[in-house]
Amino acid sequence: MGTEVLAVSVDSVDTHKGWQEKELSQMVRGGALFPMLSDSGGRIGALYGVYDSDKGLDQRGRFLIDPMRIIQSMEIVADPVGRDISEALRQLRALQHQQATGDYMPCGWEPGKPTLSKEQSQSGDIWKEWKTRHAF
Amino acid sequence: MSVKVGKKAPEFTADALDQGQTRKVSLADYRGRWVMLFFYPADFSTV
Repeated sequence: MGTEVLAVSVDSVDTHKGWQEKELSQMVRGGALFPMLSDSGGRIGALYGVYDSDKGLDQRGRFLIDPMRIIQSMEIVADPVGRDISEALRQLRALQHQQATGDYMPCGWEPGKPTLSKEQSQSGDIWKEWKTRHAF
Repeated sequence: MSVKVGKKAPEFTADALDQGQTRKVSLADYRGRWVMLFFYPADFSTV
């Protein structure tokens, strides 16, 4: 999948360091494996539409950005709810497969399930390929 | 909303903690690579 992960919050680098040492290193040996950015004043969050200026915090936004720097997917979840990493990875696999093959990935697609050609996806014949069971 | 699917991701540079070291990280550093960029409210919360 060859994908870089970048984590962003308004916390300072020193606070990131404290969290790494106190908590993250208890969960993952060596702590976070990706850079943790300090978004001072929510500057980056504001660019991406996730900065909540009332709370002074970045919301739980997630963006998949392709090699040409185009945003291909985005999601924002309310603060109290954690995310589903497997769905983000599924979308990433589907997007990478799309860029490699030009195919379209119908609802519920994951590797091994049928894809559609661009023509099929617009033909009215999707029902010939895609069955309801493929959604789950 | 200042960003849209299908449009260019806004460029940024920030101080970052990476493998125990502090360094500058820019989106431009990752040109030619897929990037999963995620925001979260605060350290010492869930992600």
